[in-house]
Amino acid sequence: MKKVLKLILLLTIFLWSEQGYAAELKNGAELKKCTTCHGKPGFSKVLENGKILDLYIDEKILRNSVHGKKECTDCHVDITEIPHRGEIKAVNCSKQCHFIGNTSGAPQTDKYIEYKNSVHGKEFFAGNKKAPVCQDCHGTHNIFKPSNGLSQVSRHNLPRTCAKCHLNIYIEYKESIHGVMFEKGNKDVPVCTNCHGEHNIRRPEDPLSTVSKGNTAFACSKCHSKVEIMKKYGIETEQVETFKESFHGVASEFGSKTVANCASCHGVHDIRPSTDQKSSINKANIPKTCGKCHPGANINFAKGKIHVNPKVKEAGIIYYVSQGFKWLTILTMVGLVTHIFLDLYRRKARSKETE
Amino acid sequence: MESIKGNYVIRFALSFRFQHVLVFTSMIILALTGFALMYHNTSWGKMLIGLEGGFVMRGRIHRVFAIVLIFTVLWHFLQVIFTEKSHKEFLKLRPELNDFKDFIMTLKYYLRISSEKARFEKFNFIQKFQYWGVIAGTFIMGVTGIILWFKDFSMAALPKWVMDVTLVVHGYEGTLAFLVLFFWHQYNAHLNPDVFPMDMTWINGKMSLKDLQERHPLEYEKLMHE
Repeated sequence: MKKVLKLILLLTIFLWSEQGYAAELKNGAELKKCTTCHGKPGFSKVLENGKILDLYIDEKILRNSVHGKKECTDCHVDITEIPHRGEIKAVNCSKQCHFIGNTSGAPQTDKYIEYKNSVHGKEFFAGNKKAPVCQDCHGTHNIFKPSNGLSQVSRHNLPRTCAKCHLNIYIEYKESIHGVMFEKGNKDVPVCTNCHGEHNIRRPEDPLSTVSKGNTAFACSKCHSKVEIMKKYGIETEQVETFKESFHGVASEFGSKTVANCASCHGVHDIRPSTDQKSSINKANIPKTCGKCHPGANINFAKGKIHVNPKVKEAGIIYYVSQGFKWLTILTMVGLVTHIFLDLYRRKARSKETE
Repeated sequence: MESIKGNYVIRFALSFRFQHVLVFTSMIILALTGFALMYHNTSWGKMLIGLEGGFVMRGRIHRVFAIVLIFTVLWHFLQVIFTEKSHKEFLKLRPELNDFKDFIMTLKYYLRISSEKARFEKFNFIQKFQYWGVIAGTFIMGVTGIILWFKDFSMAALPKWVMDVTLVVHGYEGTLAFLVLFFWHQYNAHLNPDVFPMDMTWINGKMSLKDLQERHPLEYEKLMHE
């Protein structure tokens, strides 16, 4: 008897819902109907693994987000009835709206293709469950333009968004000069994406990566060769040029895989000013840093400037030696060429005399 | 060393001629591989590096011919120190006060202050200048080059700034040597109306008695006297 009653109850609910909501849901469910349940703070379910999945949606945030005019089923297309049953699929942003040629008003970009070729995309498609998809960085119901401070990928929030997965690197970054200045609200220092890119992030070992062996100097030079940025902090801008002219720079240009680039000496996420005792380029640490590649490196490596340009006075003796040689060469050549012309002139004069 | 044979003298012994060939071939290759690196950011520099088999091969070629040049110069020194005949020849290359007088006299002649030409011995001041220039240049290039070659050892032994000076000197001295040889030696050995298109002495070692009398009268008179 109980069984029969239960069945009737279920059928009633089923039929009632079928008539009452299902028809409407097909044309886009109004937010209100969904918030009947999802609008209650604390609405959640217990997953099989014991974790609690929060299912509460803050209507205010959603309405203010870039998708504020969308309805729930515009994204959650597999929900056709309320209450919905079974597993709800993850929203596939790239298939539903975010592709070039979409008619739903989403920005016309091919960021998705960049993502597909990125390390995150490749890992995702290889079946790595930990690889991030759009929502992991951009958020779900709280997507805002990156220029909006509320966005998870706004400059202000970005390092913490990446830190959701890359925690150890974030800790290193936070203590670096870039991280310290970032925390102080500096607008010039790089956050993760300034070096690594956004949708196109690749492994550093990938030659196409913005931080690959060959591209690192370029990545750093985006800021470090700009006088208008660097003069604010009293940092020289010649470093990139002097590197390119150095043995390291030239070998790197011609494809050496082992030669040092900016990061080899300065560090990566833990870059610190040379005055910092913990810095890899602090005078006391130079032997150790250079010793990574040059066996037997000692304090002699620190005696003199590393980024040296013989063409400027600041180079000291190197400048004077090169100037001395330059003038020695010029004067010698003037003297010798004069000799050639004098010799020719005298021969001509003599042949005229004998005629 | 000098011996009259018919109407010419042998003034450039076979071993010296051989050393001369080794010196100029290695120097040309050293210049081509060196400038390729120095001007790596120009299109012709990149082209040279390509022709030389790439960046790594360029370096290897440069070092192989550096060894050739260094050994040639060492051989030359052993020869002029330890063999009597060559030592006598070497002594004729000693710079003397007379060379300076000859230089002044030649200047006066060029400027038509005097119509009297300086009278030279076997080697005139220009030839002595070239000889000692090559010796000094090879010494500087050799020392700086070896310092740069064994970089890990030198960097540990020398302060960083000395390494920087070494690199600057290697580049400038190489340029200077190249310019002197390319312009001035070309003129003296090829383009000079006396010898144009080429002074053959470097190949056969010969100079005709007529030329000897004109260009090295003191040497000519000494030979005739003997």
